[in-house]
Amino acid sequence: MKQKIFVIAALILLLCLILFMTRDLFFSHSENKPNPYEYDLKALKSADTTQSLYTEDRQIHTRLAEIHGVATDAADNIYIAGNGGVEIYSRDGVFLKKFSIKGTARCITVDVKDNIYLGMEDHVEIWNGSGKLITQWTSPGEESIITSIAVTDTWVFLADAGRKVVYRCDLSGKMIDRIGEKDPENKIPGFIVPSPYFDLGIAPDGSLWVVNPGRHEFEKYTFDGRLVSTWGEANMTMEGFCGCCNPSHFAFLHDGSFVTSEKGIERIKIYTSGGKFNSIVALSASFEEGTKGLDLAVDSRDRVIVLDPVKLMVRIFVKKK
Amino acid sequence: MPDRREFLNTLIRGSILAGLGLLSGALIFRTGKEGDCGFDFTCGSCSKSKDCKLPRALESRQMVWQLDPSKCIQCGRCATNCVLTPSAVKCVHVYAMCGYCDLCGGYFKPGTKTLNTAAENQLCPTNALKRKFVEDPFFEYTIDELLCIGCGKCVKGCGAFGNGSLQLQVRHDRCVNCNQCSIARNCPSGAFSRVPAGNPSLLKGMGTETETGKLKSS
Amino acid sequence: MSKQKLVIILLLLLTVQATSVFAVQRFPKPEFETGYIQPETQVPSPRTEILAVMDVVVLLLSLSVISWIVLKKRSRNGVFLMSVFSLIYFGFYREGCICAIGSIQNITLALFDYNYILPLTVIAFFIIPLVFTLFFGRTFCAGVCPFGAMQDMVAFRPQKLGSRLNAILGMVPYIYLGLAVLYAATGTDFIICRYDPFVGIFRFNASFSMFVFAGILLLSGIFIARPYCRFLCPYGVLLNWVSRFSRRHITITPAECIQCRLCEDSCPYDAIDFPVTSRNPESRQVMVRKLMLICTLIPFLIVAGGWTGIRLHETLAGVNGKVKLARQLLDPATLRIQSEPFEITAYKSSGKSQMQVNEEASVMLKRFYTGGWILGGFIGLMFGVVIAGRMLNIWRTDYVPNKGTCLSCTRCVDYCPVKSDLSKVNT
Repeated sequence: MKQKIFVIAALILLLCLILFMTRDLFFSHSENKPNPYEYDLKALKSADTTQSLYTEDRQIHTRLAEIHGVATDAADNIYIAGNGGVEIYSRDGVFLKKFSIKGTARCITVDVKDNIYLGMEDHVEIWNGSGKLITQWTSPGEESIITSIAVTDTWVFLADAGRKVVYRCDLSGKMIDRIGEKDPENKIPGFIVPSPYFDLGIAPDGSLWVVNPGRHEFEKYTFDGRLVSTWGEANMTMEGFCGCCNPSHFAFLHDGSFVTSEKGIERIKIYTSGGKFNSIVALSASFEEGTKGLDLAVDSRDRVIVLDPVKLMVRIFVKKK
Repeated sequence: MPDRREFLNTLIRGSILAGLGLLSGALIFRTGKEGDCGFDFTCGSCSKSKDCKLPRALESRQMVWQLDPSKCIQCGRCATNCVLTPSAVKCVHVYAMCGYCDLCGGYFKPGTKTLNTAAENQLCPTNALKRKFVEDPFFEYTIDELLCIGCGKCVKGCGAFGNGSLQLQVRHDRCVNCNQCSIARNCPSGAFSRVPAGNPSLLKGMGTETETGKLKSS
Repeated sequence: MSKQKLVIILLLLLTVQATSVFAVQRFPKPEFETGYIQPETQVPSPRTEILAVMDVVVLLLSLSVISWIVLKKRSRNGVFLMSVFSLIYFGFYREGCICAIGSIQNITLALFDYNYILPLTVIAFFIIPLVFTLFFGRTFCAGVCPFGAMQDMVAFRPQKLGSRLNAILGMVPYIYLGLAVLYAATGTDFIICRYDPFVGIFRFNASFSMFVFAGILLLSGIFIARPYCRFLCPYGVLLNWVSRFSRRHITITPAECIQCRLCEDSCPYDAIDFPVTSRNPESRQVMVRKLMLICTLIPFLIVAGGWTGIRLHETLAGVNGKVKLARQLLDPATLRIQSEPFEITAYKSSGKSQMQVNEEASVMLKRFYTGGWILGGFIGLMFGVVIAGRMLNIWRTDYVPNKGTCLSCTRCVDYCPVKSDLSKVNT
């Protein structure tokens, strides 16, 4: 009798087993369990938007297939440079004209006389507004990648991401000086440029600022190559720059504030001239994931002009009223 | 009567044997769609061996599980679904791809302000990712596989902010090579597949993959 | 509102697709100045292939040895020692993979999927035990299969279940086999491995549910000997079929049965057929009627099973990942929940369109329709065969092991008082 009870118990156990298998195979939805090790990047990317003082005013869709640089001239016309051509729009986004170039322009700058400086991979070309090539400078070297040009009354500064150095040239293109090479004696750390994003600019007060992207820093140099000061912090908060090499581009507002753009977490922010975080222009939500090369320009009305190379347009952000 | 039964038995036995022989023969020598190679057992002398889609007759038929990092979405199931605890899936560092960043997206928690090795800054739940200063401003990151549970948190961080040099892989010194991998069953992106045991890595950026992503057979 | 939602979904789709392109190296390697040498990424290699060949050799050797022990030595101790060895080698050393039971699925998948590369060792593990069984009976079960060995060792108080209960529970392996083949053929899953109860023990490492599984089987195995082998094992079905036609098979008595009835209770698996000596109590007419009944019953059961299979094919297909994904995508509840399932996330990053997913799912569903028909029909057929087997009384005079269900454990041998040398004198 006792044995029989054991057998029945064992049978019930077996049946339970088979039932459990059936249930697990056909009726379980265990795959919807949350990930205990979730690393939520969305939360990281969607920061508090109340800090954003800017709003998108308008978009200019380019007809170029690939775009790399944006610049403004004295009359606030907008220049877009990319593969095979340069387009010029009025400040309201009306198409003015277009001319073709040979090759790809990686960056563009327009001086006060409306000469257009194009960084053509390894060399610089100067065009006039009507689309005529004025002059072509000799290449500093085959491995050079000119990623930024700044022009003053007497000098032209070139950022070379390939050789990780800044050149000071005269207006005829003769190289005078190399700035920012590693020099421990003069406490120059040297540029770390892991990817071809290496920007420089002339502040409204006339000083030269160069991004040291690998160190997430801005470095201020005198024209003869002395390091004056630096600012910038590598961290993942809104105040810092993160990723491997950021900021990728910057421009100056008229009060000397920095407008910076980053890749990785795509965001455009404003820092005061002293390097203190000020406000947000745009966050990742505005861009497609993986957007790189958000070139920046600022016009006379302090509108922030952003080149979006993925959506193939120029997007103009203005301060909220 | 018994004779007849015996004869019938022998007949059936013979046909079962023949059937089994036929089945195994078909399975061993079965051809792919463009199979007309004459089943050269060595494969070595075959001129078409590069494009051959047939299973190699003898070598490299042993298969092991591996996950394709390019399909991986870091859902964390590698950590929870392996029959082993901790999982046989580990984060593997492809040094050749690493940017040696100071601010490593795979190492630091978001919101970290000071970049040091303090435990509260680390993204890794088990502190398996180690950071070592190399030279200004570079840092080397290594994985302590004894601690790594294969959760893929750092992989996600590295993929989002860096080069994607941190990748999840089945480590075959640990993997017991189940007939049906229980992670593969639950992998939402179908990243798991059986790969030849002779070349079990699907790491990206090691310089071994061809355009199609398939491994060159060495 | 809905437009906003649409935009968000669209954006999400776009963003995820952008990441699916695997990151090309964004940054070149840093230039180190301090002579730092970059470590090489280690790729540990798997178990060498020679060892896999060794497994096959060990399988062959142990099958030969166990067959010799069972048929020639007729020694229970020998079988026991052999099963200890198998438990250690195939169980704890090889950790239960690859095993003959699971290989059914590999073979099936290989037959249905050209791209699946079938290792030769798996073919060997599938074919060799069948061939041995064809000649010597289920000696594989007796002392080579580590699952069997493990259960055999806990069968302390085996009880008889009665032939009806045995027949009913004995249907489960057919269903299990059918499902395993269906899911392997559709490339869905290897369910035998999924519900493999003992590998966790072999590895000393498994999920909680797996241990519970094994625990239940071993616990009930104290009273119901070898529950997995008799009432679950799908490979046992094949061995059962093949063994019925085996050339040689273990016998209870080495010579002639003297009807002493001593072995009646010796078999823990209810695998001894008792003598049926009341020769044809039924008239010829009854026999014919029985045969007629069987002849109509079996086709009816096949059709009924097939019909049920078709009715259930959507449930059956629900296990398949492709079908599951398509259903998740169509299910409005998926959009409502806060965090999307990882399957959806992965689908978005795969760059597949919903059309493709639906297409794949409908192809799969069609395969399950056919598969469901065949599965149902097969189960119906097996029901019919079992019922028929119970209706027909086969005349026999002796106590003999049932060639299908006998696991060749040689327990009954020790109960038989007849000695073989006596038989030599007699014959």
